Amino acid sequence: MMKVSKARSLFFKSIAVKFSEIQVRESLMLRVLVMSLILLGSGCARLDHVQISDIDQSQGSLKPISVKISNTGFNAAETVAIAGALAQSDSTKESLGDLATLLALVNMGPTTGNPVYNDRYAENILMQLHQQCASGKITAIRNVREGLSYGPVSGEVVRIDADCIL
Amino acid sequence: MKKLFVTLTSIIAISLLSGCVSLDSVSLTQLPEYRDHLVTASASDILFLGFTTQNDFVDEAVESLKSKCRGGKLTGILTKHQTTSYVLVFKREVIASGYCNTVEA
Repeated sequence: MMKVSKARSLFFKSIAVKFSEIQVRESLMLRVLVMSLILLGSGCARLDHVQISDIDQSQGSLKPISVKISNTGFNAAETVAIAGALAQSDSTKESLGDLATLLALVNMGPTTGNPVYNDRYAENILMQLHQQCASGKITAIRNVREGLSYGPVSGEVVRIDADCIL
Repeated sequence: MKKLFVTLTSIIAISLLSGCVSLDSVSLTQLPEYRDHLVTASASDILFLGFTTQNDFVDEAVESLKSKCRGGKLTGILTKHQTTSYVLVFKREVIASGYCNTVEA
């Protein structure tokens, strides 16, 4: 999945570079507006992890239940890189490029999606799942770790789908 | 003519050689004692540059797996999530297999 994200990221960067080549007579506001529209309109779903548990269809009828929890992820390095590509002066481009490299180095390492600011956002998921199943017998649990990316901002989602044995 | 041949060969070679798979996640649940009836289901979608707005194909794999073991118990489920990349095109796939055991009344 990292390969997919990289391909998409390269695509966005190439768009940003193209926009930076627009002549100075075009206003900065127009470039920012067009870039924002592209980023917002390119909401992309990402699938990181899928896990399916045992499925018991022998104990009675099943009712589908689902819990979805999300938090906002933010890629600072990518944001600064886009800002650098949109900048007009060469010195600003260079400074922002250096800052983007620095931020990328600081956040270097294996990650799943963009970093979030709350590491406990998925803790209550079990309780929420139990609230939807009065019998307490839950089967066919599907753990899905996914995300919705809007350029450098993303929704980092943990989804648990399951079946409640009635 | 030679240039065209080289270009076409390059395109074909790039297309064939770049079709590689990355395994994103694997999981396995507890294995049953009786492992006679193995059922398998898979679902996939194909994306250009990774652009998509949903991951609904995962549910298709689960429903397909459930339909192959009606009234039974599926255990020892191996779930693989993989991505095959071609030139600018990606195929995302979920493959699940498990052992179906029907509970005798």
